[in-house]
Amino acid sequence: MMSKIIYVLDNNESTEYKYNICEDTIIYHFSINSSSRVEVNLVEDNVSLYYYYNNINYDDNEFNIKINHLSNNSHSEVFNHGVNVKCNKLTYNVYGVVLKEFSKCRCMQDNQIINMDNGKSTILPILLIDNYDVDSNHSAYIGKFREEEIFYLMSRGISRSVANKILLNGFLINSDSLELDKINEFVLEIEKI
Amino acid sequence: MLEIKNISCSIKDSDVEILNNLSLKINTGEVHVIMGPNGTGKSTLSKVIMGHYKYEVKSGDILLDGESIKDLEVDERARRGLFLCMQDPTVIEGVSNSEFLRTARGSITGEKVNLYTFIKDMENSMKDVGLDFNMLHRSLNMGFSGGEKKKNEILQMKFLKPKYIILDELDSGLDVDSLKLVCENINNYLIENKEASLLIITHYPRILEYLKPDFVHILKDGNIKKTGGMDLALEIEKNGYTNIDSMIGNDNDE
Repeated sequence: MMSKIIYVLDNNESTEYKYNICEDTIIYHFSINSSSRVEVNLVEDNVSLYYYYNNINYDDNEFNIKINHLSNNSHSEVFNHGVNVKCNKLTYNVYGVVLKEFSKCRCMQDNQIINMDNGKSTILPILLIDNYDVDSNHSAYIGKFREEEIFYLMSRGISRSVANKILLNGFLINSDSLELDKINEFVLEIEKI
Repeated sequence: MLEIKNISCSIKDSDVEILNNLSLKINTGEVHVIMGPNGTGKSTLSKVIMGHYKYEVKSGDILLDGESIKDLEVDERARRGLFLCMQDPTVIEGVSNSEFLRTARGSITGEKVNLYTFIKDMENSMKDVGLDFNMLHRSLNMGFSGGEKKKNEILQMKFLKPKYIILDELDSGLDVDSLKLVCENINNYLIENKEASLLIITHYPRILEYLKPDFVHILKDGNIKKTGGMDLALEIEKNGYTNIDSMIGNDNDE
């Protein structure tokens, strides 16, 4: 079955998004230096949502996302990848909510923020699960690119700066199926980091 | 020629010394083996030669063709022809094998890699090492089995054409058939590249059935204790490392 695919791009703006998901959906959310609020309701039984948030940050910003499971056997996976370029504050509040009356749900989140400088980054994973029959987990990483990865790339002749570029690209454009012409603005922004 | 001169090293920010005044000379075209029990510094030696960030060289020098590489960055060492086939190759999510290989080759040769010739080259090379062609477009080492990771290292070796190759525990993670196949690839590489020399780091002599060494060194307590030929490796297989002092070969302790 094909999923519905949605592209969103924020550039220096603060926007609110609300979605009611009735069919399998993939949302690619690109954000340049923006504070956004996202609320997603999974309203049909058995639907799945994949949410990819890719963010380049320069000022103090906050990203709020809330996934409400309002149906049985619904499935959500949220991947938040941010690069905090300067010494500013970047905060992710990531909510996953499963109400008592809905079971067999899967509610997952994976959060990573790479600090390029000494920015103050915060990730708050908040899972509010009120039903026993739910599969749910979260992970969070804040820090630099792993020295081990840089070493591996450099050991094949790639310079440190190019290695960083490659890792940034891989981190912020992390799906093979992305249509790059739709996110040109974002791709150009990666070059500037 | 790769020459390691009286190298002593420790883990960064600690006093634990791992290599102690170790010397080793590998001439062009030679195959050397370093064997030794766990925790004697074999892997450390390979990483120190490559310039790994965890280790600090306290004294001594590493020379490539007579020039010191001790203070060079890791990528510069690679561009001078060093290649470390790692024991546990790193997984990098989001960076495709293909992008990685082309960037690496471009960095080493200084020329842009033509996509068409790259694909043709990979079709053949990946078949040679027994890797599925689709893996070219997957994230680097991600979801690869232990054996596939090792094959991917050898694929990189074939493509990047290094002069000094270090194999750190190549046999771990490889089944017998895969080990044989991978070693065939290395042997062919050595035949095609007469300038290339090889340093094999291993616990087990099994790999030496396929890669014939010119010299066998026994490493213990951070230093080479014995040097000999294939017969020394066979004796280790029979008797283990406990009585190396009474074994055949030349003593290296001064």
